[in-house]
Amino acid sequence: MRVGEHKEALVGRVRILSGVVGIFLAAIAGAFWFVQVVRGTYYRDLAENNRLRKVAIKAPRGSIYDRNGRVIVENLPSYNLLLDRSRAASFDASLKFAAPILDRPLPDLVALLEHYRGLPSFQPVLLAEGLTLDQVARFEVEQLSHPEFVVDVSHRRLYRLGNQAAHVLGYLGEARPEELADPAKDLKSGDWVGRRGVELEYDAKLRGEDGERVVVVDSHGQSVAELDREVGRPGGALTLTIDAGLQQEAERQLAGKAGAIVALDPRNGEILALVSAPGYDPNLFTRRLEVAEWQQLIQDPLLPLQNRALASAYPPGSVFKMVMAAAGLAEGVITPSDGVFCNGAKTFYKRSFHCWKQGGHGFMTLETALKNSCDVYFYELGQKLGIERIARYARLFDFGVPTGIDLDGEKRGLVPDGAWSQRERRHPWYPGETISVAIGQGALLATPMQMATMAAAFANGGYIVTPHLVRGDDSHPPRRIALAPEVFEPIRRGLWRVVNDQGTGASARVAGVEIAGKTGTVQVVAHTAYENSNLRDYEERNHAWFASFAPFVNPTVVIVVFVEHGGQGSHVAAPIAKALYEKLFRPDLGTAPVS
Amino acid sequence: MKSSSGQISAPLPFPDERPRLEHLATIRWGLLASALALAAIGLATVHSASAELGTDFFSRQLVWIGVGLVAMVVSFSFNYHTLLGYSLPLYAVSLVALALVLVLGHEAGGAQGWFRLGSVGLQPSEFAKLVTALYLARYLAAPTTRQLPLKQIFIAVALVGAPMMLIVLEPDLGGAAMFAPMAVGMLLVAGVRPRILLTTLCAGLLALALIWSLGMKPYQRQRVLTFLAPDTDPLGAGYQVRQSKIAVGSGELSGKGYGQGTQSQLRFLPARHTDFILSVLAEEWGFLGVGAVLLLYAAYLANLAAIAMRAQDRAGILLVVGLGSTFSFHVLYNSAMVIGLVPVTGIPLPFLSYGGSFTLLNFIGLGLILGVDFRRFANR
Repeated sequence: MRVGEHKEALVGRVRILSGVVGIFLAAIAGAFWFVQVVRGTYYRDLAENNRLRKVAIKAPRGSIYDRNGRVIVENLPSYNLLLDRSRAASFDASLKFAAPILDRPLPDLVALLEHYRGLPSFQPVLLAEGLTLDQVARFEVEQLSHPEFVVDVSHRRLYRLGNQAAHVLGYLGEARPEELADPAKDLKSGDWVGRRGVELEYDAKLRGEDGERVVVVDSHGQSVAELDREVGRPGGALTLTIDAGLQQEAERQLAGKAGAIVALDPRNGEILALVSAPGYDPNLFTRRLEVAEWQQLIQDPLLPLQNRALASAYPPGSVFKMVMAAAGLAEGVITPSDGVFCNGAKTFYKRSFHCWKQGGHGFMTLETALKNSCDVYFYELGQKLGIERIARYARLFDFGVPTGIDLDGEKRGLVPDGAWSQRERRHPWYPGETISVAIGQGALLATPMQMATMAAAFANGGYIVTPHLVRGDDSHPPRRIALAPEVFEPIRRGLWRVVNDQGTGASARVAGVEIAGKTGTVQVVAHTAYENSNLRDYEERNHAWFASFAPFVNPTVVIVVFVEHGGQGSHVAAPIAKALYEKLFRPDLGTAPVS
Repeated sequence: MKSSSGQISAPLPFPDERPRLEHLATIRWGLLASALALAAIGLATVHSASAELGTDFFSRQLVWIGVGLVAMVVSFSFNYHTLLGYSLPLYAVSLVALALVLVLGHEAGGAQGWFRLGSVGLQPSEFAKLVTALYLARYLAAPTTRQLPLKQIFIAVALVGAPMMLIVLEPDLGGAAMFAPMAVGMLLVAGVRPRILLTTLCAGLLALALIWSLGMKPYQRQRVLTFLAPDTDPLGAGYQVRQSKIAVGSGELSGKGYGQGTQSQLRFLPARHTDFILSVLAEEWGFLGVGAVLLLYAAYLANLAAIAMRAQDRAGILLVVGLGSTFSFHVLYNSAMVIGLVPVTGIPLPFLSYGGSFTLLNFIGLGLILGVDFRRFANR
């Protein structure tokens, strides 16, 4: 036997070897038992995690309508170009293909890609936003040779009025890290949120709730199937109190000027138009803003981002005489028939105060003093009332407190009095200052919005309304001012005469409409030395005011026009109001020229 | 009973009695049956695993199995004693081929171990393994004492070491490592004193240390390190092991169903039609599927051991043991690898994994083993 006498030994060793292998096989089987049966659930969960991914379905942001149902803000599809680097054969080839289509220099794209280096390669990165349909088509037809490019459709906000109503609507911005960290805000990276205006104030309502898709993905993160879908809730639509037609006319009237226009309904506080000029185009913010564009916005000396209607306070000028008259009547310091003789100037506290009219107005009663805006009449009234009483009545008309409008950044203005002087200036109130305040000059400051609510109180016979921009908001009913109705009547008659009886507001007169109002011209002392003489001239020009309402009986609209460094109220502000009243009450007259 | 034994240099004076046809019925056909069952399971799993791949690996594997069956019949028909007679020149040719592939070969997966012939790749290391087993069987077939003399052991180790070193240079550590169990199995059965075995083991460990510090490329070291702490690098080298364990574990007891494995169908599992085919099977058929496959392997090896034990010549026993050791190691290592018990290296699963040369080799080996059984009455 070839195996020889050792055959049994060989067989024995084969047996041992097989036994060892058998034991190992059994051990392997045991290990699989452990992994599959004992730990199976654990690995099943991991496998599910592997293959399932949650993808947000972005809720479309709510559209915004004007009071007549006209769409002023909506969403348009926007095409973004994404690059899936895990599918790119060569970045170089991909970018060389994309650069001419996007019309961007190659180094730009290379730098952009470098920026995304830290992200995992299966996570697509954004290369370009707002592609044209033509560009989309050029990427789509090359899908076979360039599968790494993905065109993604998202919603982009469209502000149909362009740069009009910008300060009402506001704009959007991408959520910041600190906002993302706030669990109450429930924001995801890349979400857009309101930054200013209605977009900010009603952000929660407009934004809605994102839905979620549970998709099955492969190892490249490519979605291969959808398992579950939760639709979410689209953003709610918002109907504003704004009348887009009036708003556009008001914007047109202020074009090229700095200033503000507020038109509101004195019965309920609904804002019909709200302009702050110069404005900006909120559409700029619907994509990532270029640094140069942002710089241009914030470095413009006319501050286009500033909402002058409520975030800037100015001396009210002669418009304040309405409040002065109410204080005088209510305090019994004057009666409607009491007269004052104006010879053009009067001396108070050893200082001569001039009436705006050289030579004077002659004998003035309350109504004629309002009509002619006689300064001497109100100097005397101011002296009789004193600053404390003036301040009290100013506050009665809500000067010095925010109106409570549903917009961000509202200023409270300033009602000066003795205490304020001591607190802020560390010296007592000078009686001479009272004379200035009596005609709305000096330290007294009010926003155009405050002026509108004040004028509304004279329109509606003594109610303070809370201005608001969203229809159906009756959470703030008009609140009665603690003044007798008789106080308002003579003043209202005076205001009627301002426009309709050859008063200072005659240039606001519209045939067939009874308008009442008060002009104001604020003397400006330029306190900044500008090197640019053009700018200095501009800065030294007066501010023009016109606060008004119509119709005289049962008024439905209050219009306040403010033109910063515009000149005289009667010449600059009143004609603008006239154009708006024509737009509202006399559409038959056609479009008014811009003064 | 005939006696006398062959010397390595002398021509083998094996009697050339042709086995009688009726001996066919006595062959342990269970070996073939379990192999065919495994090949069929492998084919089905390759089909599922490559469903998401561009290439039609199913048809290719089908062709390779067909070729393998033909090769099996051929290697069965040859008297292995005749083959043993040619084993020295074959061994020399395989060394030359291994050297050539280092220069002319095609690189795949970081190792240069392939010859490209048109669209098919051939791995000379697989054939070197078979030829080395043949030559080693012939060399160790000459019994002198109960235990092998030291000199014979050294020569045997050198014979195995030469192709191993060439394969390490490719570098294909897994492929090279497969020579070790073959040599160990054959030497053990041929007869090695435990003391010597121990010494060899120490020398082997020393060699491993040297390979680690001098012979390994960084990615290979990384693989070993990743094996030791797989979760530190989830997207790197540990990714494979992690995904494989998830695939295996998520199959649970009865699997997700054929073609329903999310890990494989969604391409999370790398090398799923080759080295990680067992993961696919485990995911889709669960522990029951894995158990069935392991039982088939156990049946194959039990038949193989029975053949070795009833063979009547030393060379036949050693040849079967050498082939069986390699086979066992492939099965044990690969199945341990897919559940992360050992580092990932390119060691496929016999009859299951996709792969031309490897499938061919396994069928040739199967033919040789059946041949040994068929000729057990003749080759004494």
